[in-house]
Amino acid sequence: MNLFKAELRRIARRRLTLVFGILLLAGVVGLAVILASISSKGPSEETLAEAQAQADEMNEQNPDYLDCVEDESYFEDNEMYGWVETDPEYEGMSHKEACEHAVGGWWAEDFIWTYTFDFENEGPFVIVGVMIVAGLVMMLLGSSAIGAEWSSGGMSNLMVWHPNRMRLWGVKLGAALAACAAGVVVLAALAFGLLVLVASLRGEVGVLDGVWWEDTLELVLRTGVLALGMTLLGASLAMLGRHTAIAGGVIAGYLIVGELIVNMVSMNLSMDFPERLSLYTWVGAWITGRVELYGAYSGFNDMTPEVMVITWGDAGVLLGAIVLLFGALATWSFQRRDAA
Amino acid sequence: MPPIIEISGLRKTYRRSFRQPHNALDGLDLEVAAGQVHGFLGPNGSGKTTTLRALLGLIRVDGGTMRIFGEEVPHRLPQVVGRIGAVVESPQFFKHFSGRLTLQLLAESAGIPKDRVESVLEQVGLRDAAKASVKGYSLGMRQRLAVAQALLKQPQLLILDEPANGLDPAGIHHMRELLQWLAHEQGVTVVVSSHLLSEVQQLCDSMTIVSRGRRIVDGSVADIIAGHSGASLSVRFPDAGSLPEAAEALTTAKAGVGAVVERDRLVVTNAPEAAWVTQTLAEAGIYLSELVTQTKNLESVFLELTGTAPQPGQTVQIGQSVAVPETASPIEVPVAVSPDAGPQAGSEAGSEAEEAQR
Repeated sequence: MNLFKAELRRIARRRLTLVFGILLLAGVVGLAVILASISSKGPSEETLAEAQAQADEMNEQNPDYLDCVEDESYFEDNEMYGWVETDPEYEGMSHKEACEHAVGGWWAEDFIWTYTFDFENEGPFVIVGVMIVAGLVMMLLGSSAIGAEWSSGGMSNLMVWHPNRMRLWGVKLGAALAACAAGVVVLAALAFGLLVLVASLRGEVGVLDGVWWEDTLELVLRTGVLALGMTLLGASLAMLGRHTAIAGGVIAGYLIVGELIVNMVSMNLSMDFPERLSLYTWVGAWITGRVELYGAYSGFNDMTPEVMVITWGDAGVLLGAIVLLFGALATWSFQRRDAA
Repeated sequence: MPPIIEISGLRKTYRRSFRQPHNALDGLDLEVAAGQVHGFLGPNGSGKTTTLRALLGLIRVDGGTMRIFGEEVPHRLPQVVGRIGAVVESPQFFKHFSGRLTLQLLAESAGIPKDRVESVLEQVGLRDAAKASVKGYSLGMRQRLAVAQALLKQPQLLILDEPANGLDPAGIHHMRELLQWLAHEQGVTVVVSSHLLSEVQQLCDSMTIVSRGRRIVDGSVADIIAGHSGASLSVRFPDAGSLPEAAEALTTAKAGVGAVVERDRLVVTNAPEAAWVTQTLAEAGIYLSELVTQTKNLESVFLELTGTAPQPGQTVQIGQSVAVPETASPIEVPVAVSPDAGPQAGSEAGSEAEEAQR
C-alpha cells in the first residue's frame, strides 16, 4: 500500500501530469464556452417568419411545388409521390408543409442560421469525445510513467528498494490505471456539468429519463473501460521498449502507417468487409455498442447487401486480447530481462 | 561470525547477436566480513558493477551462488532488502523532482518515517539544497543524494559503487569519515567499489581485487600491501661505477636473487633480507651509501596484480588485465612475491587458460 501511494504521488507530482491536467481542463472548459457561444435557445418569431418567407420565395420558383400546393390530391395522383401518403414522417403535416418537404425542397430551417445545443441527443457523444481524448492523454501519461523511469534510471533504483519485480510492476500498473480512472471520471463529470449548464442557459436539456440514463451510462462506462485499456497498452509498450518514445512511436506508427497498410491491403484483396481489418471499426463498435458493415449484394436479383454485425462484445474480445497480449509480454519481459 | 556477503563461482555471460559472448563474470568468489569497510577493486570491465548488480537482483546470473546475511539471493532478496542500502553505478534520479521529494517518495514506498529524510539530508550535507530540483545538482550533489537514499533505511549493509565519483576534496573527506563511522561505530558493513586507490587505501579495512570476472586477491588492505612490499631493495653507492660489479656480486652470491641497474641505483629482488645485501657487498669490497626497502602503495600493488601498469609507448586496453586460471586459488596474503612475478605469472596463467579454451 505504501508503494502504491508513493507511485500515485510520483505520477501526480510529475510536470507532464500537471501540464496535461491543465490542458485537459482548459480543453473541456473551452469546449463548453464554444458551445455556449454558438448555441442559442432557438429562433425568434421574427427570424422564423423571415426564414419561412425566404423558403416560400425559393419554392415558388419551382413549378412542381406550385402545382402541388394548388392540387390537394397531388400525391394521390402522382405515382412518384405516392409514398408520401404512407410515410409516418408526413403524418399530421398540412398539405402545404408536405409539399414543402417532398416537392419544394426548401424549408424555413434552411434559412435559419442558428444552432441549439441539444444535451439529450448530443451531450453523451460530446462527453464520450472528451473521455476518448482523456484516454489518449492517459495512455501517454501511463507510458511516460514507466518509460521515463527507465530512461532516467529511476527504475533500477526502485528495483533495488523493491526487488520483487512482479509486485513492483503490478503496483506501477495499478497506480497508472487508478490515475487514469480518476482523470477520466473527473473530466467526464466536469464535461457533464458544464454541458448541462450550457444546455440549460443557451440550448435544450431535453428529457433525461431512465432510458436516457441507461443508454448514456452504458456508453460512458464502455468508453471509460477503453481509456483504461489504452493506459494499460501504453504502459505495457513502454515497459517492453523501456522508453516512452517507443510506446508513442508504436502507437503513432500504427495509427499512421498501420492504417495505411490496412487500407492498401483491403483495396487489393477481394475480401468481404475489409473495414474489419481496421482497429477503428472495432473501437467504434465497442463504444457505440454495434457496427454494421455492408458487403457486396448477395445475388443478381437480390438488392440486399450482405451485412456483418460487430457488437460491443465481439469488439471487447478482440481489443481485450490485444491489450492482454501486450500486458503479458511486458510482464514476461520485466520478469526475465536484466535491468541494463 | 559468518560473512555478510558470500559469493561463490558467480558466472555471467552476455550473449548478443552476431557478436562473441562476453564472460563478464567467470567464476567470481567474494566474501565480506561484518562491520568492515570492504574495497572491491578491479580494472574497467573486470566485473565489479556486474557483481553488485547481480547481488541486488538487477541482472540474472548464469551460475554460482550468492548469499547476503546468510540468505540466498536473488531468491530471498525481498526478505533482506530492508537491511541493504545501495548505490549502483552513476546515481540517476527524476530530474524535475527536488532532492527532498526524491527521498520522500522512496521513504514512503518502504514505510520509512518522514523525519528520516531530513536526517539523511543533513548527514550527506544536502540540507540547504534539498528544495532545489535534481536537474540543477552537480555530479557530486547527485552522488550525495544517492548515498542519502542508500542511508534512508538505516542499513546494516551498505553497497556503494564509486561513492567518491564527482565529489570535491571536502566531500571525499566527509564521505570517508561517514563510511568509517558507519562501519566502526555503527557496525554497518560497507562495500565500496572504487578506482580511487589512494582513497580505498585510507578508507577500507579489507579488499578484494578482481580481474576479468575472477578474484585475484583478497584480504586486509594492510596485509595485501605488505605482502607486495619489501621484496625489493633500492641500493645506491658513492660511485655509480660500482653498480655492475655490485649486481654481479649479489646475483652470484645466492641463486634466485635479482639485481637490476636502474640509472644511479641497483634494484635488488628476492634477497633474504637487507642485512644479507650489506654483508655480501661488504665481503665483495663494495660499500653502499644508501639502502631502502621499497614500500609500495595500493596503486602500485593494484597495477602489478592486475597487470595494467602502463608501459612506455603503450596504452592498456580494456580487458587487457590479468586472466586468472579457473583452478587457481586467490593469492594468499601476506606473501612476499617478486614485484615482477605477479603480472607475469598471471599473464602466463592467463595465456594457458586462453590456450586451453582455444
